[in-house]
Amino acid sequence: MSSLNRVNESNMKASFLVILAVVTILAPFATANAQTPSGAQNGKKVFEKLGCSRCHGSAGEGMPQTGNGPPKIAATHLSLREFVGSVRDPKGQMPPFGAKQVSDAELSDVYAFLQSIASQPKLELPSSANSDNGKRFYTSFGCYECHGLEGQGSAQTGGARLGPPQIPFSGFAAYARQPTGQMPPYTSKAISDAQLADIYAFLRSLPRASPAKEIPLLNQ
Amino acid sequence: MGPRRKNPVSRRDFLKNAAAGAAVLAAAPAATAKPATLERDTPAIPASPDVEHRPPPAVEILTAERTGSDFMVDVIKSLDIEYVCANPGSSFRGLHESIINYGGNRRPEFITCCHEESSVAMAHGYAKIEGKPLLVMAHGTVGLQHAGMAVYNAYCDRVPIVIIGGNIIDATKRISAVEWAHSVQDAAAPLRDYVKWDDLPISLPHFAESTVRAYKIAMTPPMMPVLLIVDGELQENPTPNDAALQIPKLSSTGPPQGDSGSVAEAARLLVAAENPVLIAGRAARTPAGMIYLMELAEALQIPVIDQMDRMNFPTRHPLNQTERAGELIAGADVILGLEVNDFWGAVHSFRDQMERTSRLVARPDAKSITISAASLFFKSNYQNFQRYPEVDVDIAADAEATLPSLTEAVKRQLNASRKSALADRRVRLAAAHDKALQRARDAAAYAWDACPISTARLAAELWAQIKEEDWSLVSNVALMSRWPVRLWAFENYYHFIGGAGGYGIGYGAPAAAGAALANRKHGRISVNIQCDGDLMYGPGVLWTAAHHRIPLLTIMHNNRGYHQELMQVQIMANRHSRGIDRATIGTTISDPPINYAKLAQSMGVYGDGPISDPKDLGPAIARAIQVVKRGEPALVDVLTQPR
Repeated sequence: MSSLNRVNESNMKASFLVILAVVTILAPFATANAQTPSGAQNGKKVFEKLGCSRCHGSAGEGMPQTGNGPPKIAATHLSLREFVGSVRDPKGQMPPFGAKQVSDAELSDVYAFLQSIASQPKLELPSSANSDNGKRFYTSFGCYECHGLEGQGSAQTGGARLGPPQIPFSGFAAYARQPTGQMPPYTSKAISDAQLADIYAFLRSLPRASPAKEIPLLNQ
Repeated sequence: MGPRRKNPVSRRDFLKNAAAGAAVLAAAPAATAKPATLERDTPAIPASPDVEHRPPPAVEILTAERTGSDFMVDVIKSLDIEYVCANPGSSFRGLHESIINYGGNRRPEFITCCHEESSVAMAHGYAKIEGKPLLVMAHGTVGLQHAGMAVYNAYCDRVPIVIIGGNIIDATKRISAVEWAHSVQDAAAPLRDYVKWDDLPISLPHFAESTVRAYKIAMTPPMMPVLLIVDGELQENPTPNDAALQIPKLSSTGPPQGDSGSVAEAARLLVAAENPVLIAGRAARTPAGMIYLMELAEALQIPVIDQMDRMNFPTRHPLNQTERAGELIAGADVILGLEVNDFWGAVHSFRDQMERTSRLVARPDAKSITISAASLFFKSNYQNFQRYPEVDVDIAADAEATLPSLTEAVKRQLNASRKSALADRRVRLAAAHDKALQRARDAAAYAWDACPISTARLAAELWAQIKEEDWSLVSNVALMSRWPVRLWAFENYYHFIGGAGGYGIGYGAPAAAGAALANRKHGRISVNIQCDGDLMYGPGVLWTAAHHRIPLLTIMHNNRGYHQELMQVQIMANRHSRGIDRATIGTTISDPPINYAKLAQSMGVYGDGPISDPKDLGPAIARAIQVVKRGEPALVDVLTQPR
């Protein structure tokens, strides 16, 4: 029997880092060029295609409450030029997006999209989300195969570390439904919104790891 | 060449002549005059006078002092082959007996294997450590077919192995229905697509020439398995005394080096590059290859991404930037690939969704250079040559042999200001290396106390027990998130042997045993992180390790499933929106759970576990190491997370 691995590890890692990094780039800006609605619509598609929502959430809300989490990028105060520059040459963990991956025109559309969604409601984690149920679903739906039984992630599968989540629920849910990387899509037919929320609640209940510097075996 | 002994008549010729009269009788060696079976031909009653005047009946000669297989052993010994791995088979019984008796069962020593796939995979693992072939013997039909997958792994992994397949070629000499079923017109045919060369010698001189030639071909980069089909009669017939039996001298073929023009152009591109990156696949064939690669990397201060198909580059070297592969390739202006099996895959991403798509992840203006002996050898049927890469400078040569000249060409082109700029680059890369190591350690801290045990914890616990020993990791790390290469300090060539090559399951356990067999005389502790599904392909190799006292520490990565395949089924189930809760059907081996400690014990191997609490793991490994230090194999069964 042969073991067929279609997962390109480095690309998976890269795409995950991208998500983390897009966040760091986008800070306050001064609103600049007025964008057309069609540009914003295309920008939404590009935003999803590039996987920006995985870190910043489908409404660009980020996770500013976690300190070093992905920042909010909706309604940015950056100028369009500053925004493009920060995507091309990010300062944080985010890997750069070159012109081959996304054109200046497409980034202009993304910018328009981010400006347009400032007032849109974002998908909140329902208060009914149950972490015990989520733990059960996390296993039965096979999330652990790529992400580990405690959401620790895997360099082999490319599954990102999910426990605790580093992205908002809206981004988590959006990505599960319409993944832009290797992850297979979890449609609402396969898993309900409520089940996704339960899984997110479970992942959120997982503790952060102790710092590696405090674990002797990890300092050999 | 071994001693020649007198035996002037071949069995086949003798039997032919015997029918004609007594002339042959005079030629029979005195030493063979009284075999017990001759009594059957002795008349039971006194012969009549008439009978007494007849010519004496022909006495069938049933023994011989020296046969073709003895000479074959002389040939094999001339190649200094240490071991022969085989599951016994009647079509090479002559060779088998000559090896253990005529050859004294020394160089080669017979290693009893429980499956031909194990025989070949043991030779595969051995060659990764010793850099030279073992001999494998297999039955011409059933044996070679059993061996097939392991041969394909070795072929893909560019590993030299000499294989002898027995066969009974003359249809009138096949003893039984079984021998007919086990005989074949073209025994090499099933393997011909994935061996480098095969032959069917029809005489002993032919055997000698072809065996020496086969060894030479196998050892010339690109190295690969070779196959000789050896007729049973040729093995078993007495050696005629007039046969001109000489063993040709073995001379090694120099590995192909890159042409000077291409090497100079590659050096020019690399010296001028601002963000070059080096990708190493099977770059280091020998310990010297590691040194050559370090010399080139340090001359250029170039980041190295080690794909770990071989032990190419020390993991703690500041220029080892394997953990940053994605970003480095994406930003590189020059990419150098050394014996990279899939260069296209290194610079592209592939997305496995409903529509399979790919995209270039490297800069479109990046220049690419490849050096690979694989460009010198192609076959059509099996597609392990991968997708066609678009390359600017393609050097069809052995990378290890070309590295010294490339390094010299680089040094010639470096002026003082360039050296200063490269020194700055090294400082930046060293800092990035340290950060990447810290990121790996931080990531390993997640699920630290989990049960089943995380693969990161397993790697860390194992490292704590072996880091002060002279160790050798004789298994792949791909199926455990590469934690050992992310956390351990790999420094010597024998610290790692790479993977299977053809991704065929069943390679792991026997390859580890073969590598441990090679490591034994060096006093190293061989460590095998063993996947459960792989071991179940051929658990008999545990018995082989026990029987031959092979010191091998096996740590079971017992995740109770074929998780790669489970994920493949998940992908399909998700794609069809049918739910994935049944994807475990056909992909798990958890009901009933297998107790690998008991399995090991049943075969004479020390077994401990199953270990499910991470706190128990370190002491269990320490106990097993004490067994290995006594020269015996040991196994610790560890219940682990999938990856």
